[in-house]
Amino acid sequence: MSPLATASINQDVSIDVLSWIDNERARIADSPQLRVDAIKPRVLPIAIKPIRPKVTGFQFPEAAAWQPAEVKKDPVRPEKPKTVKSALSTPTKHHRIKPPSDVIKLEDRLFYLLQPPLELLVRGDQLDFPFEPFPYQFDGIAFLFSRHSAILADEMGLGKTMQCVSTIRLLLCSGQLRSVLLVCPKPLVSNWLREFSVWAPEIPITDISGNAAKRELTWRSREFPVKVANYELLMRDREIIVDESIHFDLVALDEAQRIKNRSSTTAEVVCSIPRTRSWALTGTPVENSPDDLVGIFEFLSPGYLQPGLPLNEMASRSQDHILRRTKDMVLDNMPPKLYRDADLDLTPEQWETYTEAEESGVVRLSDMGEELTIQHVFELVLRLKQICNFDPVTGSSVKLQRLVADMEEIAASGKKAILFSQWVNCIDKMRPELERFGPLEYHGRIPHKQREGVIDQFKNDPDSHIILMSYGAGSVGLNLQFCEYVFLFDRWWNPAIEDQAINRAHRIGAAGAVTITRMMAANTIEQRIADVLNQKREMFDALFANQDSNPVNQSGGLTKEEIFGLFGLNAAKK
Amino acid sequence: MAQGRPAAIAYLTIVQDDRTGWTGGLLVLGVGGRPLEFQCTLPVRPSRTHEILFGSSLRGHLISEIIAPVLVEKCRTPIGLLCCDQPEVFRLGDTSVFPIGLVRQAAQVEEGPIDADTLPQCETVELAGSLIDVPMERHEGALSIVNELADIPDAIEPFERIREAIREAQAQIAAAASANMTPQRFSQSRAA
Repeated sequence: MSPLATASINQDVSIDVLSWIDNERARIADSPQLRVDAIKPRVLPIAIKPIRPKVTGFQFPEAAAWQPAEVKKDPVRPEKPKTVKSALSTPTKHHRIKPPSDVIKLEDRLFYLLQPPLELLVRGDQLDFPFEPFPYQFDGIAFLFSRHSAILADEMGLGKTMQCVSTIRLLLCSGQLRSVLLVCPKPLVSNWLREFSVWAPEIPITDISGNAAKRELTWRSREFPVKVANYELLMRDREIIVDESIHFDLVALDEAQRIKNRSSTTAEVVCSIPRTRSWALTGTPVENSPDDLVGIFEFLSPGYLQPGLPLNEMASRSQDHILRRTKDMVLDNMPPKLYRDADLDLTPEQWETYTEAEESGVVRLSDMGEELTIQHVFELVLRLKQICNFDPVTGSSVKLQRLVADMEEIAASGKKAILFSQWVNCIDKMRPELERFGPLEYHGRIPHKQREGVIDQFKNDPDSHIILMSYGAGSVGLNLQFCEYVFLFDRWWNPAIEDQAINRAHRIGAAGAVTITRMMAANTIEQRIADVLNQKREMFDALFANQDSNPVNQSGGLTKEEIFGLFGLNAAKK
Repeated sequence: MAQGRPAAIAYLTIVQDDRTGWTGGLLVLGVGGRPLEFQCTLPVRPSRTHEILFGSSLRGHLISEIIAPVLVEKCRTPIGLLCCDQPEVFRLGDTSVFPIGLVRQAAQVEEGPIDADTLPQCETVELAGSLIDVPMERHEGALSIVNELADIPDAIEPFERIREAIREAQAQIAAAASANMTPQRFSQSRAA
């Protein structure tokens, strides 16, 4: 292409571009405009609600606690070693005081829950304990501590007394108790005083005794926070103790089965003592029928149980108020009880007298018709039982023969035995044959003042191998765990009483297995009574089923119907 | 502190439970470790917002700024020494008139091993065989109070009591809730 031609083209193009721009300007000016807004974010405030927790709290009364006097520390006893806990030391299980289910208010429940564990109180420096209690005893103390109405129904020998004494001590020292009355059978007063000297040595205690003026002075004295009285004495001092001015923070009954009969004077007097807390200690809360429990509850919480309540309802209502353990449940290393049932055939002399007495006796009872009472039947039973022990004519006794044979071996091995009989005159009869075994006696004819001396002699005299006891005097409150043999020369009406007797030897500290020889004359009234009692034992299981205790230990005695039935007589005749 | 009365030792712990939330308890003990006063909070349930916004600092916030201060504020018994098992409670010490100590063995359950390097600003005092870490500047005061508390049998166990009491209180709250009542009315109705 020539340069001229090129210029011409360039000119044309220039003209075209300019017009294109003009056109474009015109077109843009005519088209709708697109606007882009600036981004302006909106801020939404999210308020963080301040957390203001609600607080609830309680101050616990700092009661004027009874201040224990300084207890002299045993110089021989080593100081508790002080060690710093390592990170790896495992936390120990503590026994805590649990509030009973009838304590409702949170403040009251927390008061118990927030108490120090019992182990710490025992191991602490504030109170000195001679021995550390067993775990089940801590449970017992925790049970009693928080309860205003409680039955401690442990089997004999598990330390009900110690648990009661220790709880009283803790309650006194924490200011929750200021005045305590312990009521027990007369022979056990000295036992309670002794247990206090061991488990609560700093607590002033006195027994109510002496003439009327002295007793009244003691009842009204504020010098002793703990007083011990026996049941018989309560009757005599009835006028004083029902006086509202003598108010007890706690009344604890030992052998509380004594008040099972609600209409008895004892029950009436005991229930009328002004008090805040009521505890009952008994190894046999039920002896004859579930209604026995109603009697004890009339003391604890009147009207809470009624006679005739169905067994399961009575069990469930009373459950929270009763703590019962047997040795089998709590002591793994308790030596066993070995029962030997000595079913003996009467000697010919005894048998002759026995059959004659039974036959003529039954005929006589049958002839009495409407005149017949339970007393008549009872007399015949007792007479026959006595013949089973000794022939009244010749003095012959198969039981004594067996006893002497056994005692030869026991004495030769340096061991000791306890013998129980229902009758003191039977003890008199057996004594001459037993002289070579150094027999000692402990029964109703031995004055109370001499009884402790008898026990001490039996314990310490190596030539004394047997102690002859009546069920009434020797079945409760004694610690004879150095004996390895128990003889039941005749059987008590109520196996619970027998168990109490056996547990004099079979208790904590027992040296070895305890052998119990239950003597029974075969094919006699003794065997018939034993059969009836065995059947009854099962009934009592229901009441304490939840406590896993052994039904054998709750069995009761014979009813009127059962006593009549021993001779095929009808109780309806009366 | 009342004239002649031994110093009271207080224990504070906070329990966290996925179902109920965060609950604090303060127990004041007197002679022999017996309870003088107990304060506890109703369970605190932080919202989702709290959880997101506070993140990992939520625990410290709840313990040291929300629950512990309100418990101490409500306590009417003068405190001589406050023992805790959560190091977050230490932050209260900036304003409190009493020393605060961390019971080492109790704290180690959740916090893992604690030694002088873990808490460099602290010194230890010993109470009932247990080591308690207290801030250096409060060491002397803590030591004199610990000497007054010779009859405290165990320095760790009171935390168990608080936890037990919180469980009891929560059980009552739950029972009251199921009966559609306030805990107080629930107690009254049961007592009646």
